[in-house]
Amino acid sequence: MMNSIERIVSTLKFEKPDRVPVIAQVFGHAAAVAGMNLGEYIRDGEMLARGQIRALDRYGYDAVFALMDTYVETEAVGSVLTYFNNKYPIVKSYALSQDTDPDNLTFPDPYQDGRMPELLKAAGILREEAGDEVLVVGCVLGPLTVTTQLLGIEKALYLAIDEPERFSRILDFATEVVIQFGKAQLDAGVHLPVVFDPSASPVVIPPLFFYEYELPRLTRLFSSLSEHGAAANWLHIAGPADPILPYYPEAGVNIANFDYSISPSVAQKALPRTVLDGNIKPWSFVEATPEEITLESARLLDRFAHRGGFILSSGCEIPPESRQENVAAMVMAARAGN
Amino acid sequence: MSDPSLNLLVEYLVEGDRKRSLTEVKKLLDAHADREKIITHGVEVAMKRLENKCTIEQFNLLEIMVAGRAAMEVITFLYPQDRPPHPMKGTVVIGTPEGDVHDLGKNILKMVLTAEGYRVVDCGKDCPLDKLADAVKREGAFAICISGLITPMIPLVRKMKDKLAERGVKDVMVIAGGAALKQATAESLNVDFVCDTAFDALGYLGMITRSG
Repeated sequence: MMNSIERIVSTLKFEKPDRVPVIAQVFGHAAAVAGMNLGEYIRDGEMLARGQIRALDRYGYDAVFALMDTYVETEAVGSVLTYFNNKYPIVKSYALSQDTDPDNLTFPDPYQDGRMPELLKAAGILREEAGDEVLVVGCVLGPLTVTTQLLGIEKALYLAIDEPERFSRILDFATEVVIQFGKAQLDAGVHLPVVFDPSASPVVIPPLFFYEYELPRLTRLFSSLSEHGAAANWLHIAGPADPILPYYPEAGVNIANFDYSISPSVAQKALPRTVLDGNIKPWSFVEATPEEITLESARLLDRFAHRGGFILSSGCEIPPESRQENVAAMVMAARAGN
Repeated sequence: MSDPSLNLLVEYLVEGDRKRSLTEVKKLLDAHADREKIITHGVEVAMKRLENKCTIEQFNLLEIMVAGRAAMEVITFLYPQDRPPHPMKGTVVIGTPEGDVHDLGKNILKMVLTAEGYRVVDCGKDCPLDKLADAVKREGAFAICISGLITPMIPLVRKMKDKLAERGVKDVMVIAGGAALKQATAESLNVDFVCDTAFDALGYLGMITRSG
């Protein structure tokens, strides 16, 4: 029997692993599994690592995540967050405004600023405790998403239209922020950081905008991560991303997340030689029954049986409030099916 | 409804070109064009064009934001606060419930509905359900549109109709949208309609107003 890392490496080569890998996108849900307070979990690297290990023990899937939420980068640059008792934080005030001089920005130090050091601590513990056998995944945001988190999404997008040159320079700053953070995560022990880029979804921006602004920066980011030893390049853009999927290989993407709104056949056609992960509807982990999750998992496994290059997963984050038996059902389906 | 004299304005609005849109409106007023006609045959036609474009290509927020902003500036220019407002199709309350601060979708819906002639009462983001229900009653709205990006909004939205009923408000349509809410069905959310895009909501509201 292969261990999780061997299984994923085999999948990346489009070989036939002992079974299809299963990566549940369990982030804050791990706190619920471990009986921890989510508001503390996302601020304490040691707690986060312990929660991930508890969830790994509970479910037995193939990857753990050193991942807090989508505000780590913006907080480290200077945005102020509001934290809550048992839910994800929100941004109280943004680090930048339309008038910010892009030449006067200071790069955050991943070893000092905001919660970055705590995330690195989590990465180190996870690598030491699980990383010989299980994939340890970190997380950085895509450059456009960081930019929308630095300015607020409306201001960022209007700036892109009104002052494209200034916007581009902030986008370049954001790119460098995530390159440095991603490298620090690799140094701390992650096998790879997943790149989350929800603001780059075609629901938010037209595909041409993605092509002109985001693709070159994602290419730069992934090439830097590869050079620094990332095991693979995993891009995660939620929603109906089908119009931009064909650009992914150009950016150096090896693993592409596809959300529930994209059918497996569309994703397979757009990305014939890229590993795909997806695409069970996230909300169904809260509302559906384990039998329904088992059926949906079996359907997906069947759709990829001949193609290979597949990781069974959800389309996006498994909500923290999900039913544990539903997550377990997806993992069991991968273990049972071949 | 097309009027050749308004073609240029429609083009500029669809492109989201604020400066040219305003310049064109000033020219039209100089030529004694009717303000209301500029809205109904210009702004509303531009919104329809945008809706068609979004159906053929794909709906994206950026293009709607930019066109919506231009449309808002034209409307504010034509009907500043010291002038009587242009005739409205009805009042709609919109808001993002307490716990969610992602309000881009809501803000876009506000522009689309305003440009189409609805009176929009915006309760903002992170808004308690009671405040939303109070606004519906106070403003005499015929519909309420609620947006939610994150899944904890789902159990909240289910309570919206009860909150309205507590205030004796009946026959008000509840419409839900946003990344989290659109994963659920109207039945499971206890709402009348779940929309995929702002134009979906617009279409549904149009259907209610026509049939009502």
